[in-house]
Amino acid sequence: MGSKRNARAETKLVEQAEASSDSELDAEELYLSSDDDADAAVGPAPEDGSTSDDADDESEEGSEQDSEEEGGSLDDELDRAVVDYIADRGGTDDPAETSGRPPGEPGEAEVAETRPVDPGSDSSEDERPNRNTIGNVPLQWYKDEEHIGYDKEGSKLIKRERRDRLDALLARNDSGKEWRTVYDEYNDEEIVLSKEEMQLIQRIRAGQFPHIEVNPYEPEVDWFTRETEIHPLSSAPEPKRRFIPSKWEEKKVVKLVRALRKGWIKREKKDESEEPPAYLLWQDDGMVAEKTATGLSYIPAPKPKLPTHEESYNPPKEYLPTEEERAAYELQEEEDRPQFLPQAFDSLRKVPMYSNFIQERFERCLDLYLCPRTRRKRFDIDPESLVPKLPKPRDLQPFPSALMLRFRGHKGKVLSISVDPTGQWLASGSSDGSLKLWEVRTARCMHTWALGGPVHCTAWCPNNALRILAAVVDKKVVLLPSGTGTEEVEAAAVQALKLTPAASEGDSKLAHWQARDDGQGVDIVHQHLVKSVTWHGRGDYFASVAPTGNTQAVLVHQLSKQATQNPFRKNRGRVVRVAFHPAKPFFFVATQNHVRIYNLAKQALAKKLIAGGGITSLAVHPTGDHVIVGSEDKRLAWYDLDLSAKPYKALRYHTYALRSVAYHRSYPLFASSSDDGSVHVFHGMVYQDLLTNPLIVPVKILRGHERVDHEGVLDCAFHPTQPWIFTAGADGDVCLFCN
Amino acid sequence: MGQKRKRGQAGNAVQYITRNQALKKLQLKLSEFRRLCILKGIHPREPKKKTQGANKTYYHLKDINYLAHEPLLVKFRDAYAYEKKIRKAKAKKNRDLAERLLARKPKHRIDHLVKERYPSFVDALRDLDDPLTMVHLFATLPAEKALSIPAKMVHASRRLAMEFQAYVVRTNALRKVFVSVKGFYYQAELMGQAVTWLVPHNLAQMLPTDVDYRVMLTFLEFYQTMLQFVNFKLYHMLGLKYPPVMDARLEQAAAGLAAIMQDLAKPAIQAGAAEPASGAANPDAAKRLKTLPQKLKELQQAEVSGAEPMEAGNDADVAGGLAEDDEAEAAAEDSENEELGDIDSGPTSVAGGAVGVNVDNDAEVCEKLFAGLVFFLGREVPREQLLFVIRAFGGTAAWDGEGSPLSENDESITHQVVDRPTQGHRFLSREYVQPQWVFDSANFRVLVKPELYAPGTAPPPHLSPFTGPDEDDYVPDYLQELRKLQEAAKAARLRSQGLEQDRFVGEEDEVAAGAGPADADVDSVEAAEKQYAAELTRELQAANADEAEQTSDEDNEGEDEQQLIVPKAAAKTDEAAEEEAAMKNILMPRKTKKLYDSIQKTRSAKRARVEKLQQKKQALASARKKQ
Repeated sequence: MGSKRNARAETKLVEQAEASSDSELDAEELYLSSDDDADAAVGPAPEDGSTSDDADDESEEGSEQDSEEEGGSLDDELDRAVVDYIADRGGTDDPAETSGRPPGEPGEAEVAETRPVDPGSDSSEDERPNRNTIGNVPLQWYKDEEHIGYDKEGSKLIKRERRDRLDALLARNDSGKEWRTVYDEYNDEEIVLSKEEMQLIQRIRAGQFPHIEVNPYEPEVDWFTRETEIHPLSSAPEPKRRFIPSKWEEKKVVKLVRALRKGWIKREKKDESEEPPAYLLWQDDGMVAEKTATGLSYIPAPKPKLPTHEESYNPPKEYLPTEEERAAYELQEEEDRPQFLPQAFDSLRKVPMYSNFIQERFERCLDLYLCPRTRRKRFDIDPESLVPKLPKPRDLQPFPSALMLRFRGHKGKVLSISVDPTGQWLASGSSDGSLKLWEVRTARCMHTWALGGPVHCTAWCPNNALRILAAVVDKKVVLLPSGTGTEEVEAAAVQALKLTPAASEGDSKLAHWQARDDGQGVDIVHQHLVKSVTWHGRGDYFASVAPTGNTQAVLVHQLSKQATQNPFRKNRGRVVRVAFHPAKPFFFVATQNHVRIYNLAKQALAKKLIAGGGITSLAVHPTGDHVIVGSEDKRLAWYDLDLSAKPYKALRYHTYALRSVAYHRSYPLFASSSDDGSVHVFHGMVYQDLLTNPLIVPVKILRGHERVDHEGVLDCAFHPTQPWIFTAGADGDVCLFCN
Repeated sequence: MGQKRKRGQAGNAVQYITRNQALKKLQLKLSEFRRLCILKGIHPREPKKKTQGANKTYYHLKDINYLAHEPLLVKFRDAYAYEKKIRKAKAKKNRDLAERLLARKPKHRIDHLVKERYPSFVDALRDLDDPLTMVHLFATLPAEKALSIPAKMVHASRRLAMEFQAYVVRTNALRKVFVSVKGFYYQAELMGQAVTWLVPHNLAQMLPTDVDYRVMLTFLEFYQTMLQFVNFKLYHMLGLKYPPVMDARLEQAAAGLAAIMQDLAKPAIQAGAAEPASGAANPDAAKRLKTLPQKLKELQQAEVSGAEPMEAGNDADVAGGLAEDDEAEAAAEDSENEELGDIDSGPTSVAGGAVGVNVDNDAEVCEKLFAGLVFFLGREVPREQLLFVIRAFGGTAAWDGEGSPLSENDESITHQVVDRPTQGHRFLSREYVQPQWVFDSANFRVLVKPELYAPGTAPPPHLSPFTGPDEDDYVPDYLQELRKLQEAAKAARLRSQGLEQDRFVGEEDEVAAGAGPADADVDSVEAAEKQYAAELTRELQAANADEAEQTSDEDNEGEDEQQLIVPKAAAKTDEAAEEEAAMKNILMPRKTKKLYDSIQKTRSAKRARVEKLQQKKQALASARKKQ
């Protein structure tokens, strides 16, 4: 039904073909356009039919009959509808339809009359006699005329009255033939296509041969075979030369015979497919040659791995993959996944062929001749032998091992702590601007100073007769009487902190000494932000570090004279920490990558230690011969000053940057704290004889602080007399670990 | 101070050249170079410094110079020129000339390469794994013309494989068999060298198209030559003729191994002839044995004449003759077994035929393991493989089909190897087992319980004999069982040895009585001591075995309770130990730490694997309990 509808929509057919003798089309193309175009096309022309523009056209002859030939020569794009062939058939083959046509349409009756078909005729001309004789001229020329052209007699063919759309609709509804009626503009007539013709069109549109009789798959008749026939095609008699022995052949035979006789040509034994015989290749045994013929050592190819239980055709059940493992295997990329999954078959006869066998052998072959070979030494090392032999930590007691007290009270991170020389008091400075004084035994806060800025460093004066506390706030170093001593000590401290007029008015280029607002203590105002302060062992001198201070980065202050001096004139890099030698007049200056040791007496550089990695902290051994340095690259370096400028041991065990390092004053202990929230305590024994290297043994990892803002333990300090350690955390607590 | 050396004048820069440089130097195409390298065994080497770039393959200059002086190189060039002649003739449609040229194509031999590459025979044996696997593979491949696999190569492969197998059977050198998904792994011990090879399953191979068969064929060419000489040497050492004559009839009947073995003088028969004692036990059998060579001769003559009408009759004759032989042997061995069986029938079933052998001598145990057992192979089992294994371990085998020495109805058959769930007719006198029984028995040198391998039931897991006790920490349950069996078999063998010693001591005494009393006394004392020691060890072992069984049960109960308590206490110490270990790591140098970490990683991975297997096993066991 669908095809019928399509056919109805198409009223205009352009046919380009030659009709064969028995009115069959060899090849045709049909161009179908819409109904409306046909309506619009109206067409006579004033000019005469013989004025054709196509020079090569047969219709040029001017004869009336020839015009049908134009179908074969017309260009595709020609806008004219030619339905000659179909018109011809439509008019004649279906007499029933013609008779059934209403009398109001005389054109069709005329068509039927004017086109007699001579079935015997061979000519294609006969089949499509046109009523119109204008020839191959544009139909627009007749557009405004009353007639469409001329008949054979030369009388005008008057245009039929056009049906309006209503009529067309009615006709379409009334008659079943309307949908296969085609309007022939050239002859101004309507043609009803027969059923056969409709089939023809449908077949063409479907891309099939138009005629159902044509069989495209006829059995091929091999007229000209490849096989040589035994009988000659020609019956010509055999020439004489075929019966006479050839002279040349005879000569050749003679030649060959002679060659054979003389042994020039040897006859090959045809079937010599026997294997060459094997023989005893190796005479003697037991000799194993290490070198090959090239003189290079022979490297045998590694043997493939021997199969394990997994590869068995019937492995133990536990070797078989679970569902999840199988799914995971499927998900893996083909290159990543292991070669095969263990499989189990309950009987040997069910084992299938292994499809990768040849592939694997091939790969082995490739390995054998393509892979570079080297001899590698295989170490069979017991991993325990790699572990250094160290004494057990429990043999190295005492060392801090358990969290004993927690000093709570700071609202911000505790940036620094310092234990007083007696070990009774603890000072801690925090980022909330407070400096607190704690009693160690009770963890009670005895005093709080609000210093108005983060307290980056605190340090007790080692001089027990003064009990002064130094702290660093912004650009100031604050000296405070701690108020922990006896009255005499208090008085001495007040006396010491009483500013002399010289000091207060003195040279303020480096630092300005001034009394604090509350009258207690002294501020030493620097020109740059101060980060740390350290006391000399005797408690008179102390040094402050202002890393941004350039040439004034390190200033040494004298308490007794209330004077400040700048020991260095040159800037040797950003100074991070400084320290005094406990006994000798040496001064340690840690810049980011080096530690310089100056001889203060000689005013000269004594040694330069190479560290690197951003030093954050520095501690000097009580003997003064060893230094530990903590750096941002998570490394703790132990320097033996007698040995070299490079670390005696560099240990990397923290997972984040080191924040502080500390030596115990009397016990052979040292510790490091880091941003990973842990404090590592080491046993660091230094021997008196110079031959024995220091013994470093890690003894304890202390964990008591939480990480806050990527900061862990910011400072650590040992108790001066006990094997205890205080740690200051970013979580605002100070912890005391005891043995 | 001398002049400064220029770059690229010494060292790696001149010692090693890249492949392309080598090609240019040798004036070869890549394919020719490849072929030459394969045949000569030249492989790239890894220089310490890759002077021409890291992504290149380097050959040692000496290797390349060595190739340049290879006479084969000239031969190949000649062959190439000759090929051109043929091509030309073909192009000119001169078919006669082309055919003649093809027929007279120059051949090359590569014997000298074998000797060059393997100066001593042991060297060749060491590298025999790949050749054997390759030859066995090609023996099963179709001679595909599209992939240019010539039929000749396939036939030669088959012949060489058979010859080698025949040798292994003859010397009872086979030690291990493993049926994997990939195929059959075999391991034989030749002159102290373990030779392992893989034989694909007896199924049609799928020929992948993305494989360069030319490479494989070049390898095969060398391997065949090598194996030929190796076989020759092996046969020569036994005093056998090489190549052996294949029995065409048996070969036709697809009993390839049997076909060759026919030619190799049968060890069992020889042994029978050499040992009159065994024959004496059964005079009838001895008589038959005497007539055997004659019969064999007749047989051969019949084959040579190749008269077709005669063959049917002869076949029957041969079958009968062989059957008689085997019967005779079996009878002889049976009688031996009976003797032993009278004394100790229990353990003999575990120890198989290998009683009265030195327990520590694996070769001897292997040789006698299946002695006295007669197997009948069903139609559905891999005949060639089983035949190989059974014979290599001293058994006798018959099969369902042409050329079989015994028929299925024969009374002497002790085991029938079948792989189908149901049997049409069951002989009560024999055990019905699956093929795996043979392999497992051979691997563990015991006769495992045949009930476990009854047809139609799922056999116990087939375990790889290639995993040593220390290689894998995980020991499957069945392996433990097998080890117990092994112990039992060992004990049985020791016992039987002790018996023989007894007898020996007695004889000595008799002889010594005549010779001199002093000597005899010394000898007898020593012997007695030995015997006593042997008895002691035996008793100890027996006691140990019993105790182990008893205590294992008791322990299991006790352990459970202990395990509950231990973890709590262990947790703390564990933590401390862990911390200690972590702290020890701190003082390690970085390199050592890396090495240590990597070792620990592999160990922990192994441990994890074992743990996983154990967990799986437990899960499986619990699932089974629930059911």
